[in-house]
Amino acid sequence: MIGRITTLMTAQSTVNDLALSFDRLSQTQQEMSSGKKISQPSDDPYGMSVVLNEQSQLGMLDAYTNNVSDGSAWTQAGQSAMTNITNVVQRVRELVVGDANGTNSQGSLAGSAAEVKQLIAAVKQEANTQYNGQYIFAGTTNAAPYQPSTGDLYQGNSGPAGAVTRLIGPNTTVQVNVDLSSVLGNGAAGSGGSDGKLLDTLNTIYSDMTSGNTNGLGNADLKALDSNFSALTQMQASLGATSNRLDLASSRIQSMQLSDTQVLSNAQDADMAKVAIDYSTQQAAYSAALRAGASIVQSSLMDFLK
Amino acid sequence: MAIPSMTGLETALRGLTAAQAAIDTTGTNIANANNASYSRQIVDLTESSSLSLPAFSNVTGQGVQLGTGVDVTTISRARDQFLDIQYRAQNSNESGLSTSNGLLQQVQTALAEPTSGGVTSQLNAFWQSWSALAAAPTSAAAKQSVVDSGATMSNTFNAVESQLQTLQGQAASQYTTLIAANGPVQQDANQIASLNTQISQAMGAGQTPNALLDARDKALDDLSQYGNVSVKDQGNGLLTVNFGGDTTTPLVNGNTANAVTSLALTPASGGTLGALQGLTSPTGQISGYLTTLNNFANTLASTVNALHTTPPFFAVSTSTTALGATATTLNVNPSLVSNPSSVQTTSTGNAGASDIAQALAGLSNGAAQSSYSAFVSQVGSDVQSSSSTMTTAQTMLTAISNQRQSVSGVSLDEEMTNLISYQRAYQASARMMTTIDSTLDTLINHTGTVGL
Repeated sequence: MIGRITTLMTAQSTVNDLALSFDRLSQTQQEMSSGKKISQPSDDPYGMSVVLNEQSQLGMLDAYTNNVSDGSAWTQAGQSAMTNITNVVQRVRELVVGDANGTNSQGSLAGSAAEVKQLIAAVKQEANTQYNGQYIFAGTTNAAPYQPSTGDLYQGNSGPAGAVTRLIGPNTTVQVNVDLSSVLGNGAAGSGGSDGKLLDTLNTIYSDMTSGNTNGLGNADLKALDSNFSALTQMQASLGATSNRLDLASSRIQSMQLSDTQVLSNAQDADMAKVAIDYSTQQAAYSAALRAGASIVQSSLMDFLK
Repeated sequence: MAIPSMTGLETALRGLTAAQAAIDTTGTNIANANNASYSRQIVDLTESSSLSLPAFSNVTGQGVQLGTGVDVTTISRARDQFLDIQYRAQNSNESGLSTSNGLLQQVQTALAEPTSGGVTSQLNAFWQSWSALAAAPTSAAAKQSVVDSGATMSNTFNAVESQLQTLQGQAASQYTTLIAANGPVQQDANQIASLNTQISQAMGAGQTPNALLDARDKALDDLSQYGNVSVKDQGNGLLTVNFGGDTTTPLVNGNTANAVTSLALTPASGGTLGALQGLTSPTGQISGYLTTLNNFANTLASTVNALHTTPPFFAVSTSTTALGATATTLNVNPSLVSNPSSVQTTSTGNAGASDIAQALAGLSNGAAQSSYSAFVSQVGSDVQSSSSTMTTAQTMLTAISNQRQSVSGVSLDEEMTNLISYQRAYQASARMMTTIDSTLDTLINHTGTVGL
């Protein structure tokens, strides 16, 4: 137990207390000005690891958001190209139905044939649609799927190797392209004979129109065209489903961003109301300590001796 | 039986001398009121030997012992040697803790977490750039961005790494400065040895050299901040001082001081020197951090390179520092920096495929990331625990220092009170002398003058 209290002790403990009080004040002030209760790891080591994890989590959610919107843009570009192809097929069907009843003249058939030839070119042009510098129907090869030099032969790849995917979550990918070549096919070129796909069918229609084979037009060609049309709409539907899935992923990512931001804020951000109250309390205490220090050390026995 | 005539004058003179010594000592105390290393001085008074008057009383036939006043025997220091021992032990402890705390704080600052300048946020940017490349595998800009963010992250990592080495190097040079021949430790040792000589001479002459003793205690206090101090009194005013836990070679042995460098100092030596040794040792805390960083770099490089094989994305090189720690340098493969288009996005050969880029983006929040954030947390909790033990040690040091001040410190109120009582004693002794003088006047000048 301390018996005697000396002048130096009083002075030193006053200085210590003031320093302590000022230290608390400056810490609170830092929390207030930065708005953060963790400004360095030692403020809260565990909270710090939460902050770092949440920051990287939020960073990846940003990346997923970018991937989802990029994927959506791909599917939209694919859908609009396929809608155009659908319109072409419908136009060809009108021509085929009109020409199949055999009442049209040879000249009118030649006109239809010329239009179908143009429409075939239009289908290939749609199949060569690019988004952000990439051919969206070429699988992963990034070469134009149908090129003048190779005629109707599909130049891309298909199957699992041709799947263009986007990462939309941890270990979660979604395929954003479709294998259009499975509907368009390789035309009639080559010795492999006809594959019955859309380009082959359109070429057959063209040649039937040119040769005036109205019987072929009305039967086999129309049947093949209808079956290709239904394959086309089926593919369009699957792209629509992908688009829906991306929309769902987008809203899921948004809600995760919200909850992660909340966790981050809880771990890192200062409770401003509390900090402000603490600050004014500590400031009052500090002023009181200063005033007390000034008056305590001032007086001694000498003030009362003559 | 008679009393010698001048006895009263002698007694009064003794009183005056004692009061004057006490007043002067009070003056010294007041003058040193704010000197922290000063020990309050006390005038020790003893009754002076009595005058024997045999057969003083005719009634009893017995003699008496007549008091002859007071003697100033010594002027001593108010000091508790046990509090000194406690103070020095705590001072070593506190200054060691505050040295390592200061350095750990700098390590923490070097990490720059959780700002955008830290490795963590740049690692995030790195994974995100892979994700962007996965969405546009043919984009030259995205490949450039992957290389750039990898290089930025590596540079930051290397900066943290070299900052840690610099801190370790600074600690080592601080250690060398402290134990140098003209360093503070050696100076304290030399001063203690020379004070030992002076003190033993003064004590041999039968004096109490308070000022020298205070100076020696101050030097010992000062020495204790560099390492553990243990003091043994040889008698005759000489001290043996063992330093830093070395029990074989004392730092000061009576009149001679040994070189600090001849002592076996270890991290357990305590004080600043012990802390610095601990921090710079190849098995110390900072070396441990460097090893953790080394593991992080290797984990990161091996997981990334396992996916990005031709060419490997990261190159890790290690070297051994002057202090025996392992230093790591992380770099993006130079061939990728000079030719970003050779960044691999796919293993299939299809330009539009991005399986490698996707797999790399998927490494986010993986082993490397979590090992780094665990490292940051570890540094944080090391700083936190070091700060709190340091605060405890400071509080204890203040408490012991207060106890010591309570014994040795000067209280002005007390000195004023003493001053008044000594002044009054002086006045009373002077009055006593006047009284004796007047009785002698009566005896000498007025005896035998009846009726004149």
